[in-house]
Amino acid sequence: MNARRLITSPALRPFWLVVVLIVLWDVFIRVFKVPPYLIPNPLSVAKQLVAEWPMLWRETLPTLYATLGGFALSALVGVPIAMWIAYSRLVESFVYPLLVFSQSIPKVAIAPLFVVWFGFGLVPKVIAAFLLGFFPVVVATVQGFKSVEGDVIDLARSMGANPFKIFLKFRLPHALPAIFSGLKVSVTLAVVGAVVGEFVGSNSGLGYVLQKANGTFDLPLMFAALVILSMIGVLLFLVLELIERWLMPWHASQRHDLAATA
Amino acid sequence: MQRRDLITLATAAALAASLATPAQAQGKDKVVLMLNWYTYSEHAPFYLGKEKGYFDAEGIDLDIQEGRGSAVTVQAVAAGSATFGYVDVPTMIKAAAKGAPVKAVGVALQTSAMSVMGFSDKNIKTPKDIVGKTVAITPGDSMVQIWPLFLKKTGLQETQFKTVAGDAQTKLNAVINGQADLLLGYVMDQNIKLQDAAHKPVTTIRFADHGVNLISSGIVANKDTLAAKADMVKRFMRAATKSLEEAEKNPEAAVAATLKAQPKSGQPDTMLTGVKLTTELYHTADTKSLRPFRVSMKNVNESLDLLVQYGGMDPATRGKAEDWVTLDYLP
Repeated sequence: MNARRLITSPALRPFWLVVVLIVLWDVFIRVFKVPPYLIPNPLSVAKQLVAEWPMLWRETLPTLYATLGGFALSALVGVPIAMWIAYSRLVESFVYPLLVFSQSIPKVAIAPLFVVWFGFGLVPKVIAAFLLGFFPVVVATVQGFKSVEGDVIDLARSMGANPFKIFLKFRLPHALPAIFSGLKVSVTLAVVGAVVGEFVGSNSGLGYVLQKANGTFDLPLMFAALVILSMIGVLLFLVLELIERWLMPWHASQRHDLAATA
Repeated sequence: MQRRDLITLATAAALAASLATPAQAQGKDKVVLMLNWYTYSEHAPFYLGKEKGYFDAEGIDLDIQEGRGSAVTVQAVAAGSATFGYVDVPTMIKAAAKGAPVKAVGVALQTSAMSVMGFSDKNIKTPKDIVGKTVAITPGDSMVQIWPLFLKKTGLQETQFKTVAGDAQTKLNAVINGQADLLLGYVMDQNIKLQDAAHKPVTTIRFADHGVNLISSGIVANKDTLAAKADMVKRFMRAATKSLEEAEKNPEAAVAATLKAQPKSGQPDTMLTGVKLTTELYHTADTKSLRPFRVSMKNVNESLDLLVQYGGMDPATRGKAEDWVTLDYLP
């Protein structure tokens, strides 16, 4: 009985989904006779993952640092700018359209320029990760701050709260759900940005491994690197979920979970 | 009665004539040739051949598509999305050794086009001058895999110079902006691009001059194509051979044809230099008297040995030269 509850518990469900996907992947390759130089089978990917683990782990770290650096910048720069936009109609009308315009510029095209300006170190990758992760944070945060109900603010003011207290106790908590949804999207994009930065100019990182693997037709290694990249995205997403749960225990989305585990 | 018969006869004749002409125009094979990269001087012969109608005359409707690296083009040919690929043949051999059903039907550049180059004002003329400098490479490309062999042949160690890695554009930017002194490139590609961008002369140190005898670019096709469409392949190679010969004789026309089809692919005077540098590599001592593409199997065998020793090829998959290159479809 205990084993049955363990197997069907919510925590393990993503794991079972992954297992199902791997089985489907293997079946697909067998049924359609997909050659190994187009899509490798799961077993050879797993073998490469284990065989090359020291090298893969070593190359994961630079990508991880670039991702975290870019994400931190997205959050630290994105949230204040979004607050500014939300508070001022004037700023919104000037800055917001420009931001949207800049978002459509393909980062892959301008990434080489960053290498020219900032060299071959970590900086261009952090900037590439920042540029990709910045926009979702801004859009979501603007939405969050704008959706604070006027009545609530009036009530707070009528009770004598000063602007700082209003911000801390009413506006910010109200905007947090939206901010977090923006941050969660942003962190997965930051991983992409870091890899794009590495494609363009890097001696290390998983983007470098992807390039080398592709050039030597080592598709199992390439897929192994892709698996690790996806795991980084998943783990960072989970971390943000946990922080969100800790910061907003009152929120409707958390209440639902608590009822289910009760 | 007689007039009606005449009218029927005339109508029938007119119909027959109108049906015959479209049928003749529909007789051509649609063929896609995917290049190894965006257009540059090395590809001029194909644009020349297309313009001069060599492919049309062989019943081939040729579509030249630009590629994104030999590895990607080889995969496209293996998957059937391109009929032929113009790629670095050693790269194709490595893919074929891993199971890709591709084979080379002709080797255009029988001497290696690989080189390490930099602006002439840096005074890097011999391999010894590379010590203490910064070299820009692209991870995973064909040149960086042969680089260790060049280092061995010239007695250099990896520790004697600095390496920076980036994609193709970043390599060029690095040398143009001084972040790197040298880059690894083909003698007729980055060489020209650096000169066009900075208007300064470039010095190239060719791998081939230092004992690296590796075949370079050639035409590859899927083995299924070779089996099912042998006649089309022969016609294509006939036209392609003519194109290369014409480019050797008339490089100016090749440049003009290329710039007409791809105006942004270069400047007329530097592309002419590039085409001449390309045609120089069409023969080795063994094949001086032969037509282009007809590589000597001895050359291919030497390349296989180098690939096994330095190129990361599994010795168990080495096979014979004939497994990877066939001359059966050449005129």
